[in-house]
Amino acid sequence: MKLLTHNMLTSHVKGVTKGYPLNIKATEVKVSEVDFNPQFVTRMIPKLEWGPLIQAAEVLGHSQDLPSTLIPNYENDEDFLRKVHRILLEVEVIEGSLQCPESGREFPISKGVPNMLLNEDE
Amino acid sequence: MDEAASQLEREHVHSVYERIAPYFNDSRYKAWPKVKQFLLEQEPGSIVADVGCGNGKYLHINENIFKLGCDACRPLVDSAWSQGHEVQLCDGLRLPYRDGCFDAVLSIAVIHHMSTKERRIRAIQEMARTLRVGGRIMIYVWAMEQKRRKFEKQDIFIPWNPNPPIHGRGDGTQSVSDDADSSDKHRKVKSTSSVVDEGELASPSQQKQQRLWFFSRSLDSVLDFGSLTVSRSTSGTFQTPADEAAESRSLRASGRGLIRQVSNLFSSSSRTSLEEDVFISDPHDQVHKTDNSSASNEDETLRVELVQDCSSVPLPDLVSYQKEQSSNEKHGEVGSTANGQHSMQRQESTGSLGDTGGVKEWNDGQMKDSCLRYYHVFREGELTQLIENHVDELHVLQTYLDHANWCVVAEKIQVWKV
Repeated sequence: MKLLTHNMLTSHVKGVTKGYPLNIKATEVKVSEVDFNPQFVTRMIPKLEWGPLIQAAEVLGHSQDLPSTLIPNYENDEDFLRKVHRILLEVEVIEGSLQCPESGREFPISKGVPNMLLNEDE
Repeated sequence: MDEAASQLEREHVHSVYERIAPYFNDSRYKAWPKVKQFLLEQEPGSIVADVGCGNGKYLHINENIFKLGCDACRPLVDSAWSQGHEVQLCDGLRLPYRDGCFDAVLSIAVIHHMSTKERRIRAIQEMARTLRVGGRIMIYVWAMEQKRRKFEKQDIFIPWNPNPPIHGRGDGTQSVSDDADSSDKHRKVKSTSSVVDEGELASPSQQKQQRLWFFSRSLDSVLDFGSLTVSRSTSGTFQTPADEAAESRSLRASGRGLIRQVSNLFSSSSRTSLEEDVFISDPHDQVHKTDNSSASNEDETLRVELVQDCSSVPLPDLVSYQKEQSSNEKHGEVGSTANGQHSMQRQESTGSLGDTGGVKEWNDGQMKDSCLRYYHVFREGELTQLIENHVDELHVLQTYLDHANWCVVAEKIQVWKV
């Protein structure tokens, strides 16, 4: 699971209203190389929830001193964009779980795939 | 009702896909060009979700956008993951994504597996929720109106055919459905129960004219619910053991009746099997057949031989199921499981197959039951109407027929609630 994906994921347990963002518990993390495309990253940033992204990166030890609020004019800051690229696409949680911040329910991540299936009663 | 719908989908969608996942061959399921085009048209930096992505055949298209896929079938999702795609396991009725986070959503050949209208609407509503305003969704579902075959009802079971012919009808033989379509012996359905005339079934010469599909009953009709052929006993926890045994016997017997009918269809005609074979059956008819169960063994042996003689018939699953059933009957087995569950218990684990590295060989011994998938095929205009009447936040932009699919492209709009 990449952090770009994590940024979209929310807990959908019945009755939960504050299910986002999910807390990451990682037991296995992988970092791989993905082609850097500055335009892609620039366009992606406005679609993200920035705070949760930085939080998640911190939990995994890859915050790289990125600011907790977006600075203006980031489109021209290649260094910044590379760091963002890294946390969005290159850092992956292979094993672990995602925990609902409100209910505590854990969704396992196994072989890189989060299992967001709920039981009938949830 | 929702529980029954879940149950039906679990047995005839989810568990079937789980079993056939290792045998999926991508060359058989090509990417629809218009879907590919839809993806290629998305602006660079878009985030797109493929809900019901299967083994991820659309997830590699357009490297300038971020795609994620989700599906309820673990083996398919794992397969997509191994191709390098971002995928999650989830249920289409309860998507784990926040509101308005996607620029586009795909739903290709997914919601026709949902067994009630209400669930189909909910699935569309969930996807609409995750779309941002201005974002677009593309939905493909099987059409009831098709060129090669005619579905007389909307709620049907279709067996999965592991070995479709590579050269369709080019070898000169006609497929059975072609015969059926062109001939005037097209049997008229007199009532919603789709009664099959037993006289016609018995005669081999008329078997060519058989239409091939299983009729299910729509779960939307409360009256019809009781006559579904599948899994009634699992929800009947309040039945006494004696009742359960009797019911499971009749269910198994009706399953045999089903198989007998199906095997009848293949005894004499040389046919080219279609990519998706569909089989005719009628719930009422099976009830009659239970009376003849004592005389059935001989008949069954005959049927099995006939089927085996037909080299063009790729029905290893149905034949072995039939054998299994007759041998169980001899042992006087009385179980309390429904047909579907019974077969699943005998299913060999797919892990025991040798890894052929790509497409696995379909082993006769592998599947002991028919992999019947539930479909609700859509009439012209039905999908559009569903959206227009029940999903306020989607505005239909286009509707068209693409091969045998109805397709709708819709845009998420801002809905003002006063």
